[in-house]
Amino acid sequence: MKTGTGKNAGAAKILHKKAKTKSVRSSSAKESARVDQAPQPVETKHPSAARIYIIGESPMVEQYAEVCAFHGYEVSLSWNEKPLQKPEFKSDHIKISSIIPANTSIVLELTNIDTAAKKANIERINDAIADTAPILSSSITVTATEQSSWISGKYRLVGLSALPTLIAKPLVEIAPTIYSPKETIEVTRRFFQSIGKEIEIVQDRIGMVLPRMLCRIINEAAYAIMEDIASPQDIDTALKLGAQFPFGPFAWAEQIGLNQVVAVLAALHADLQEERYRITPLLKQMAMTRKQA
Amino acid sequence: MFKQLGIVGTGVMGIGIAQLAVLSKIDVQLYDVNDTLLRRSTVRINANLRKMVNSGKISTEELQASMERIRTRTSLPDLGNCDFIIESVIEDIRVKKDIFKHLDSCTKSSAILASTTSSLSITSIGAQTRNPERIAGIHFFNPLDTSTLVEVVKGFKTNTETIDKIIEFVFLLAKTPIVVKDTPGFIVNRVSQPLFSEALRLLGENVATVEQIDRIAKNIGSFSGGPFELMDLMGIDTTLAEMQYLYEQSYGEPRLRPNPILKQMTETGWLGKKAKKGFYTYDEPSS
Repeated sequence: MKTGTGKNAGAAKILHKKAKTKSVRSSSAKESARVDQAPQPVETKHPSAARIYIIGESPMVEQYAEVCAFHGYEVSLSWNEKPLQKPEFKSDHIKISSIIPANTSIVLELTNIDTAAKKANIERINDAIADTAPILSSSITVTATEQSSWISGKYRLVGLSALPTLIAKPLVEIAPTIYSPKETIEVTRRFFQSIGKEIEIVQDRIGMVLPRMLCRIINEAAYAIMEDIASPQDIDTALKLGAQFPFGPFAWAEQIGLNQVVAVLAALHADLQEERYRITPLLKQMAMTRKQA
Repeated sequence: MFKQLGIVGTGVMGIGIAQLAVLSKIDVQLYDVNDTLLRRSTVRINANLRKMVNSGKISTEELQASMERIRTRTSLPDLGNCDFIIESVIEDIRVKKDIFKHLDSCTKSSAILASTTSSLSITSIGAQTRNPERIAGIHFFNPLDTSTLVEVVKGFKTNTETIDKIIEFVFLLAKTPIVVKDTPGFIVNRVSQPLFSEALRLLGENVATVEQIDRIAKNIGSFSGGPFELMDLMGIDTTLAEMQYLYEQSYGEPRLRPNPILKQMTETGWLGKKAKKGFYTYDEPSS
């Protein structure tokens, strides 16, 4: 794996106070090489008033914004499509802004369904923010590697497994790419630690780990409904009582969003070209009717 | 309505059901092929109930009354006066078919016949009997004392009356019945299968390690155990057999294809916790 040289090595500093952003940005290759040899301690507890920009799909954007604001970040956010009801935020450190603030030190791109919108977002983010600011982008329907190919700042993009409600969990799946220097990974780790989470580094593949297992479970449950094996309520009860699942597959699908589940399965099916990821026709229809409702 | 419950087979499940039934004040006629097996079974039930007395769950009188409700039988026709018979022998379709054919001929036609099979087709089991409409599945889960779910399986010809009576019986045992159609793996084994088969794929494709996948399942998915921990617990050979069964019964549905990793582990003798080596290594002897 390529190690950090030049401007990308500065990424390790990004969670320092925002005032440092400028000097990191203009740091010479020589300085960066020194940073590389002796990584600077990064403040993990409170990246004081660091500005974060979050863009993508509702309700992930709102959920991540609340968590980041709670842990002391100044959050600006935007959606690909505005949610029908304007959300009420608990924190007053969250601002809705279609413009990416120039002093943004970290960006979260949370789009799984509309990959064209995702590409436009990533390209725009890459142009708008400092060269040293990392882009943490959901990579369950498009790999982080493919996303990196859209931009010049390949070194700064790291994939993560983002689905609605998962931000409430203590662990996050992270997918670095072949372009990710260790500094970018380290900054990612520090960022998630700063919002109370550990990271698990996995390979950069469609569906990553949990979304792939979970969406297949939901799909199989939908097959059982389609085949009229049992009712959705009974299937949920059966899996909770009989297999100690934390939620029934349908209750889980509702939490995550049926359109998200369909997007993950469609991406797996397209990527692996295997019958086992074929989406239940019923699941597609359920997702469509939910969207209209 | 369940005055006499017949139980065929004295494995863990047969004994467990007998114990639950006598505690629910149902008389049990326990059948197995010889007296030695039957004696061992009653001794075990007595010991289990004794434990319950010691922990204050039941009284000594209840223990005695419960034990008096058990009659042992070594001849199937002796179960002729039972209203409800539960078969719980080995998971072998030929053995089960023979038993049901025999029961069909030696029981009153109003009696309900049920199988605790976790995988075999109820429709197949009932196919060669005169009254398949009174045959259904009653799938309990291990461990019986804490698992409250029971899948009540409706074969092609099972009638509503049979299903209703089994549901009533399940409620008597203070468990939760779920009615499912006769399909490979029923609901729980079929819908939970992707957790294991996808975990194995992720491992095979080197997306993450055993430990990572388990950590992710538990800490992000909130599962009580990771898929590899669970497979080790169930037994690698058992998990493989279940997957093979689902695959064969569905005539090779690609979603249900078993994973070669399990076959290699089974052949190597890495059978899980019981062999002290599966996906994990266990130092302590398994209990």
